[in-house]
Order: sequence, then structure tokens, then C-alpha cells
Amino acid sequence: MIELRDVWFSYIDDIYVLKDINITFSKGITVIMGPNGSGKTTLLKVASCLYKPVKGKVFVNGVEYWNLKYQEMIKYRRRIVYVHEKPILLRGKVLDNIAYSLLIRGCSKVEAEEKVHKIAEKLDISYIIDKDVKELSIGEKQLVALARALILNPDYLFLDEPLAHLHLSRRKRVIEALKAMKDKVIIIATHDPFLTLAISTKVVMLDEGRIVRVGESREIVKEYIL
Amino acid sequence: MYPEVYDVALRSFSISLFATILALTWSIPLSIKIASMKHKVRDVIIGTFNALIGFPTVLIGLLLYLIFSRSGPLGFLGLLYTPQIIIIGQAILITPLMISLMYEVFVKALSEYWELALSLGATKGQAYRLIVREVSGDVVVASLIGFTRAIGELGVALMVGGNIKGYTRVFTTAIALEVEKGEFGLAIILGALLFIIVLSIILSVRMIKRRIK
Repeated sequence: MIELRDVWFSYIDDIYVLKDINITFSKGITVIMGPNGSGKTTLLKVASCLYKPVKGKVFVNGVEYWNLKYQEMIKYRRRIVYVHEKPILLRGKVLDNIAYSLLIRGCSKVEAEEKVHKIAEKLDISYIIDKDVKELSIGEKQLVALARALILNPDYLFLDEPLAHLHLSRRKRVIEALKAMKDKVIIIATHDPFLTLAISTKVVMLDEGRIVRVGESREIVKEYIL
Repeated sequence: MYPEVYDVALRSFSISLFATILALTWSIPLSIKIASMKHKVRDVIIGTFNALIGFPTVLIGLLLYLIFSRSGPLGFLGLLYTPQIIIIGQAILITPLMISLMYEVFVKALSEYWELALSLGATKGQAYRLIVREVSGDVVVASLIGFTRAIGELGVALMVGGNIKGYTRVFTTAIALEVEKGEFGLAIILGALLFIIVLSIILSVRMIKRRIK
């Protein structure tokens, strides 16, 4: 469970992009929707403990994250994974990219490679596993970034527009993989009403940095989009 | 035919190499520091470094001369007219250029790779190692460009190096001297060699950049 209590966030001085956010993300998939610039990405980054709020508190499983000592922070940090909207890949092969998150956790190379092959099969990207990331399409890059996150089987998974660059046929696989992680806390920021309807029942609507509505996905999509 | 050529080339190369390494030791941390500052502050600082790229080399030479001459504040070090002072001068000369080149790289690295590393559960140490690995190609490119600027400068080498034969004479000071003496043959050979070195480095930079992309 991740709870944001009275959270405010600004990048520049007093211009707040998140204002008085109070929300609890519990097990299951929650979708954050809202217009461009409404603060979706920032909310994900604050909730995933990447950004420290200017005001307010972030609790991970009831523990105030930003009050933890560094070593404790790392322990919590390793249970939370955030995937950027624009996939950021490291130089080198796809295999090395996906294995990276395991290797920094002390996993052996052999074990990491084994796991990489399994997740690649699951997301149907085995054919690119030995390719250099420079040769990939944007959609393939997004799948690699997703694989790198999913391989960790994190307790908390934050995804920013995870299907934005994917072809329809690929989307189904990703949605299935995410749906299979029902016992985890998954928060997705998206513009896509179809993804929202396909994947989640709980939707948080943001507008100008404030939560304007929390409710059932069909209801909200119908009201705001359809 | 000209035994001095080899001696001058080797000295020029090693002096500029050490100057580049010296400049790197402070340019990398400075670039990281500037890149991690707030927008307004870093814009002012990087703007200043951009402007300093065109700082006249003779002025750096003059400043170093005043500081390191016998009556200057650091005169007691006895560095004037030594290869060491040319190294220091060239390092200072190329610092604004190297910072300007590396700053953008570190801004991108800090905003992307740092956050990526943390988002995947890396410790700060692991995040720094990742950044170093990811920007190493760009740092090499910046260093090579800095090196070409250092090896081709005249003002510092002439003013604080003194153009002493077999000791502080480098490509540019040797060319200037040979032209003054009317020895155009040696000047042309030295000039051509300097041009080949700079050209090879620029071509290497292009190749490295292509590989990075």
C-alpha cells in the first residue's frame, strides 16, 4: 500500500504541479487519467518515491519513506519500480538491459540470463534479445523497458503510458501480463480510455495538479471521454 | 632531415595530453555540479563558460606569467618556463570548452540515467557507475576536442613556456620561430604534422559520435 498525505510538489519555486494530494494506492491496478500537464507523471514519480514532495508525506506500507535511513530506503526502493513513458535504455544489447535490474540486486549472470529469457518469451520479444538497442523500434524499446521492470516482480509497479508506442497485437500481451499481477500495487498513468477500460476498475482523475475524481473506470471514461 | 621534428611532436603531444587529463579532473566534477544546479543558476554559469571559450590565449599566458614570475604570488614554485606551466595553462585554456561540451551530456545523464537507475533500485554508487558508463563516449569526445584546442594554441606556450629548445618547444612555438627565421621548410613540416594530428582526432571524434548514436 502506498499512501500520499497532503502532498504538494513543485519543480520551480512556488509553481505547484501537485496540490494537496491525498490518496491511497492499494493492491490491484489503478489508472491515473487527466489532460496534458495535469500532473500525472509527477504524481507517479512522487508516489514511486523518485521525487520528494515539497510538502506532505509518502507512506510505503505504513512507513514514511522520506524519513528512512539510506540503507532502509534502498530496501524499500527495490520493491518499487517505475517505467518511463519514453523508454530509456542503456547502451548495449537488449539482454544486458533487461538483466541490469537483476544484476544490481546481486543476482548471478547465469540466473539473470535465465530469467531474461523467460520474461522475453512472455512478452514475445525473444527475437530481439541479442540485438543492440540502437536497432530497435520505439515499440520494441518500450517492451524492453517493460520487461526490465516486470522481471523484478516488484510489489509496486508504476507505468507511465505503458502502451503508447505499442501495436495492438502487442498490447494484449502486456495487458495480460499486468492483469496476472493482481496481488501487486500497479499504478498506470495514461490518456488511453481503452487501456483504462481493459485493465482497471479504479480511476483517479487529475486536473491542474489536483485530484478531481476517484471512481469506477466505466463511469469516469463515459463521463469525461465518451 | 629535421631531427627536431620528432622531439617537438612528442613533447607537444605529451604536454597537451597531460593538460587534457588535468582539465578532465576538474571539468567532470564541475560539469556534474553545474548540471545538477537549478535552471537559472546553471544558465548563468554555463553562459559564462561558453563566453570564456573565446578567451584570448595570450591573456591566459599573461595572467599565468604575472602569477608565476619570480615576483608573482606563486613565483616561489619556480614553474615559469617549464613544461609543467604549459600543462597548467593549456588545462585552464580548454576547461571552458570541455565544461561546455560535457555539461549537456551530464544534464541528460542526470535527468535520465540517474532517475532510471534509482527507479530500478540502484544505490547511489551503482547509479554513478551507470552514468559514467553511459557518458564515457561523450567524455572521450569532449577530451579529444579539448586536446586539439590545447595542441594548437600558441599564446600560453609562448608566454610561459618560453620556447626553450629541447625543453618547452612545442609545435606552435616552433612553427612561429621557424617562420621568423625564414626556415619555411621545417615550419611547413611541423604545420603539416600538426594538421594531420588534429584532422585524425576530429575524424576519430566523428567516428566515436556515430558509434554513440
